[in-house]
Amino acid sequence: MFLHIPTKEVKPYELSLNTSHGTSLLKLACLCLYRKKQRGAKMKEMGLLLLFFSVACGKVTGLGPPGKPTLTNCRSPEKETFTCWWKPGPDGGLPTTYALYYLKDNSETVYECPDYHTAGRNSCFFNKNETSVWVNYNITVVATNKMGRTFSDPVDVDVAYIVQPHTPENVTVNVMEDEGWPFLRVSWESPHKADIRSGWITLVYELRSKMEGEEEWEEHFPGQQKTFNIFSVRSGSSYLVQVRCRPDHGFWSEWSPTTKTKVPKFFLGRSLWILILVFSILVVLILAWIIYMNCHSLKHSILPPVPGPKIKGFDHQRLKNGSYKDGLGALMIPEYPPSSSSNDDDLLVEYLEVFVTGEQDISMEEGKEIQDHYCKSESSTCDSDSGHGSCDSHTLLIDKCKETSKDELNSNCEDASEIIELEISQNNQDEKTLSYDGRPDTCNGRVKTWPSVFTPLPQYTLSAIPQKSSLEIVKQHCLSDTLFPPGSMSSNLVNQNESFGPSYWEFSLNSKQLPQIHSQSSKHLQAYSDINISKKDNEITTLFKSTQYVEVKNVNNKDMVLLQPVESGSQSHAEGCPHVHQGKDYSKVKGVNSDKMLLLESGVNVMGQETATCFCDKSETNAMKESGYMSSANVWKHKHPPMQTVLPVQEEQKPFAANGYVDTATMFSTYNSFFI
Amino acid sequence: MMTFFKWHFIVQRGAWAVLLWPFLFTKCIPLDCQDCPSISQEKLLDRVIQHAELIYRVSEESCTLFEEMFVPFPLRLQRNQAGYACITKALPIPSSKSEIQQISDQWLLQSVLLLVQSWIEPLVYLQTTLDRYDDAPELLLNKTKWLSGKLLSLEQGVLVLITKVLNEGMVSTSYTEQAIFQYDMQLDMLESIIKDYTLFNCFKKDAHKIETFLKLLKCRQTDKYNCA
Repeated sequence: MFLHIPTKEVKPYELSLNTSHGTSLLKLACLCLYRKKQRGAKMKEMGLLLLFFSVACGKVTGLGPPGKPTLTNCRSPEKETFTCWWKPGPDGGLPTTYALYYLKDNSETVYECPDYHTAGRNSCFFNKNETSVWVNYNITVVATNKMGRTFSDPVDVDVAYIVQPHTPENVTVNVMEDEGWPFLRVSWESPHKADIRSGWITLVYELRSKMEGEEEWEEHFPGQQKTFNIFSVRSGSSYLVQVRCRPDHGFWSEWSPTTKTKVPKFFLGRSLWILILVFSILVVLILAWIIYMNCHSLKHSILPPVPGPKIKGFDHQRLKNGSYKDGLGALMIPEYPPSSSSNDDDLLVEYLEVFVTGEQDISMEEGKEIQDHYCKSESSTCDSDSGHGSCDSHTLLIDKCKETSKDELNSNCEDASEIIELEISQNNQDEKTLSYDGRPDTCNGRVKTWPSVFTPLPQYTLSAIPQKSSLEIVKQHCLSDTLFPPGSMSSNLVNQNESFGPSYWEFSLNSKQLPQIHSQSSKHLQAYSDINISKKDNEITTLFKSTQYVEVKNVNNKDMVLLQPVESGSQSHAEGCPHVHQGKDYSKVKGVNSDKMLLLESGVNVMGQETATCFCDKSETNAMKESGYMSSANVWKHKHPPMQTVLPVQEEQKPFAANGYVDTATMFSTYNSFFI
Repeated sequence: MMTFFKWHFIVQRGAWAVLLWPFLFTKCIPLDCQDCPSISQEKLLDRVIQHAELIYRVSEESCTLFEEMFVPFPLRLQRNQAGYACITKALPIPSSKSEIQQISDQWLLQSVLLLVQSWIEPLVYLQTTLDRYDDAPELLLNKTKWLSGKLLSLEQGVLVLITKVLNEGMVSTSYTEQAIFQYDMQLDMLESIIKDYTLFNCFKKDAHKIETFLKLLKCRQTDKYNCA
């Protein structure tokens, strides 16, 4: 033990010479010594040389006393124990031991470190019993080896001032909610060794946090408390938190290990959810109400109705019901041959049924407001704009007009009976003219029985025609598809024995049925007409399966158009011409009276020369149709001077004068585009 | 704080009155005081602790100031030069935690009181010696003055605290025993500096000791204070 530890170390001579140097020195020393000896040097010089020699010898091997150690630091974690560490110097090549000695509070007693191992290498640990607070420790480290010892610089230590606690423990971070907004609650515990409970140490804490990915930490000072709330927290991001502590007079501890938490996304409070819910319910209600109010218009815009063919003034329903009994059958369009197929079931057959009933039945119309609506019963579905009534072209006229029963015909046409007055002339003698009074807004649509006269175009103003819409006229065409045979007509007419009673043709369209002639006429007037009515710029496509024609024979001097049937016995061009009527009776247009009534008279002039253009099959090719047209035209032309136009009868008599024929070919040739 | 100063003023007056008769009367603190508002023991203890903390902080700053100004660099590390031990070393004051935990509250308070009282004079001396130095900074002088004043307040507070905690009306202290400090004016500059430096250091240490003792006392009242 040292009684006195000098404050300044006594350093033995030390030479830092490497081996090679030492060898050379040794040689030099030996040489000098030898020469000195030879010269008889003094003892003093000898001693010096000897000393030099020994040094040189000592340095040859590289050994020497140890280097000076240095005390790096002393720390106390809880002000009850403390530890000092030192850094050893160069060891001089020899195994060196280190010892720590200390003095307490200026006393002369030297103590050695009680524990070299607990705190690790090159350390000295002072336990509780050896630690006195507010006492000045004077500590020195000594390095010792074979060659000598080296003392470090002494250091004064007062335990009260070297306190550096351990890091805080159990750092927990919880995500909590404050009125819908999230915040972090950080809580921790003091280092387990620090005695806070007795008040021996008072610790203050520091906290730092940052969002993951950020550079800088945000620092907070909770003071002496052990919890802290961080409020500026964003949803959906994760945060890192660290805590450290310090005694009231001492050093800061190390930062605790990073604690990471993630704030869940959309961390909304209850009140906010309720607000969102209420708002969304309101919006849904308003939308539903709006939709409900505009139900119909929405329906129309989303699901627009399928337009169908529609002809103004054309009562589909009545047509379907077959109650168009008036002279629509007379509207014969040669371009539409009757269906060649005799298979009635394959075709949606609509045929015109022409018959002449009693006195009051001469009215040929249904009495419906054809112009405005077509089928009264189906007004809801057959309104003039929607075209509903024309959804089904085939069954259009059948279904929709079915309801227009004969009762309607009769009832509605009671007035109309006056409209169309057909003067049935006697066969041979009396010229009963069938005057057709086309009164507008009445059952006019059905009246048109003479195709040649009545054209689909409204420009052909034959009395009843002008006000009619195209559809009406088509109806007229349709209904005039069938031609009552002149014979039947005549028979009817004859039978009726009426001169000026209204004759009434009842045209009914019956699907897939043989036409029924309501009248006593033996002749069947069958017209399988497949009426395809489409409203397109007054284009009317009507397909007739079988047609019979009434031809204008001539116009007599009384301005009467004489009609006569086309020769029924003539061959048809196409096959399957279902019916060739031997027209015996027909009504010839006697003329047009002042009231714009077309006066028909029955004539029995059968023009055998004429060919009945029988357009049997509507599926005939255009060419055939054309040929049919042309042939008929040719025939007609050949035989008769064509009548170019059908003009108001009053105006032109000449065209009719020749033979009473209207060149329907030319007429219809202009409508080829329609019908083909 | 205001009530404490007021109380301190009255107590101080009483103390001075007592001091005039040191042989006949021991220091007594008049307990019955009609005009004085009473203060709870808890609050009193908190205030005393605050005083002690402040004193320590200021003493630490003063010591650092003095060291930077006057003490040559080689001497700075050796705070306890030979011959100059702390004046309170001889006092029977526990210096380790284990010792402290064994002594009673009364003795703890008594120790505090001893410490405080023993430093009143040296601080007065320090004020005078600092005037001797030519370039003593104003800040240092002010701090030293403040320290001595605050120490007196602390003393009074501790006295009151003793009477409250211990329910003892009287504290017998040997006033003369506290006169450890030796006035020595014939010192050269360097020795004077060293001595003053030692004084500052020792005072700093004792201030820390006082603070710690008071905090320990506070946490001993575990029912009232939560020190955990």
